[in-house]
Amino acid sequence: MIRVPRTLFASAVGLILGGGLYLALHLTTAWTASSPLDPVLPTADTPYMLSDGIADYTDFMMSGGPPPDGIPSIDAPNFVDGSSARLDDGDMVIGFVHEGDARTYPQNILVHHEIVNDEVGGLPVAVTYCPLTATSQGFKRGDTTLGVSGQLLNSNLVMFDRDTESYFSQIAATGLTGDHAGNALDEVNLIWTTWGEWRAQHPDTKVLSDDTGHMRNYSNDPYGRYNPRGGYYSAREVIFPLMHESDAHHPKEMVVGARTAEASVYVVLDDLKTQRVQQIGSFVAVYDADFTTAHIYRGDVLPEITPLEDNRYEIDGETYAPNALPLDALVSIEAFFFAWHAFYPNSATV
Amino acid sequence: MHNAFKTLLTLLHVPRYRRIAVGIGILYLVLFLIALRDITLGGSGVQFASVEWTRMFSATGPFTFEAIARLTLPGVTVLIAPMNILVGSALSLLAALNLMVTYVAYNQPSACRFNRSTGVLASLPALLAGGACCAPAIVLILGLQVSSLFITAFQVLIPVAALLLLVTLKLILDRTDPERLTLVDA
Repeated sequence: MIRVPRTLFASAVGLILGGGLYLALHLTTAWTASSPLDPVLPTADTPYMLSDGIADYTDFMMSGGPPPDGIPSIDAPNFVDGSSARLDDGDMVIGFVHEGDARTYPQNILVHHEIVNDEVGGLPVAVTYCPLTATSQGFKRGDTTLGVSGQLLNSNLVMFDRDTESYFSQIAATGLTGDHAGNALDEVNLIWTTWGEWRAQHPDTKVLSDDTGHMRNYSNDPYGRYNPRGGYYSAREVIFPLMHESDAHHPKEMVVGARTAEASVYVVLDDLKTQRVQQIGSFVAVYDADFTTAHIYRGDVLPEITPLEDNRYEIDGETYAPNALPLDALVSIEAFFFAWHAFYPNSATV
Repeated sequence: MHNAFKTLLTLLHVPRYRRIAVGIGILYLVLFLIALRDITLGGSGVQFASVEWTRMFSATGPFTFEAIARLTLPGVTVLIAPMNILVGSALSLLAALNLMVTYVAYNQPSACRFNRSTGVLASLPALLAGGACCAPAIVLILGLQVSSLFITAFQVLIPVAALLLLVTLKLILDRTDPERLTLVDA
């Protein structure tokens, strides 16, 4: 009679029981998720231009490792006052204001969750952040919520809506699969800046609390660091395959891009900082020193824009803040250069 | 199989070998949890937080699961994910037995007729498992670009590692002659 060591036996039984429970839980979740709801996700009237077909995108999309919701979105966010936020002035944050309600989403929390389903100034929005491409983009979400699919396209976040379970590319802001394939999401402008800059302009801002309902170490970034910049965020290496590559700039150079139904443009943020105004065809980018970012506008006939002191710009004798020029304002997206190029290889620039 | 178990039990009767196995097992479990990023640097003060226990079954990656509690200590944060600890314990047990038999082979080569690096090599794959969800560290160090095949390989790494450990344990035990072992506790 062979005696199996008790510890070995206990471990085997534990694994079998644990595996059984895991499977049971997954089957229950899959059954619950299949209940259909009415479509509730707002989409834009006009789709954005795409450099590749939707089928090319879905063919190229690949697993980043985690399953859907393996990186859990924050669906019941809590906020604290700016005075109780544990942030240094140089820490990166994502800022959003709507109807006077200013919110701060610290990068150190978003890097672990990538999506916050929030309601700001009465507007339900999904604040999304992809650490691999350094892109933060906001989307109106209506009565549904967005989740992290675990898939990547050009190293960039692929999200899904919990209503129709369609997949969406973050940078392209466009549906890739399901009922929303080909539809553009309705975007809002977010600001990628530092805590010091955001707080100086929005002293009453509320800050996303690290009491997220999830157990993570928010003082540890799995990819690198921003204050000062290091690790993945400054290395030349890009982890996942790209549809289009270019040596025009360092892969992690920060650019600001925008797109319409017909065209896309980008500017290199450091160059714009020096020149303050850059015109690219019918697009113009102006530098915003308050947030170290750029705003991109479009106009069939662009006026002369003169940079003034104190982060102001003059057009036809009137002065304006960089985010309030009397032109057609586009959603401006900060991104690592490699990511913008992978989606928009023919993007115009100066 | 009978002979392998008999050899294993014979070895485990020696307190010195048992202590070595327990020590290696604990060390391996800690390394596994570091690889999974359940133990990470960073943290200040002493705090404990928890969420509902049912979350322990939510997968964060292939064969990796959510934490239900967090212990913050000065400089280090420990996430307590019971399913990760369970999977890690099973792997640690197998790795500890492999390495214990390897240790015996180094000390008593006449009783063991196997390549002594086998058990050590078999213990390594599971420690790469943490890279499945956020591989940047290893990818940046090795200068790799991740392909679909790479991700697929990582997704089956834990069961493959467990199988590898079981097979090598059986192999090295079969090649260990219990009759020629000197079982004196040092």
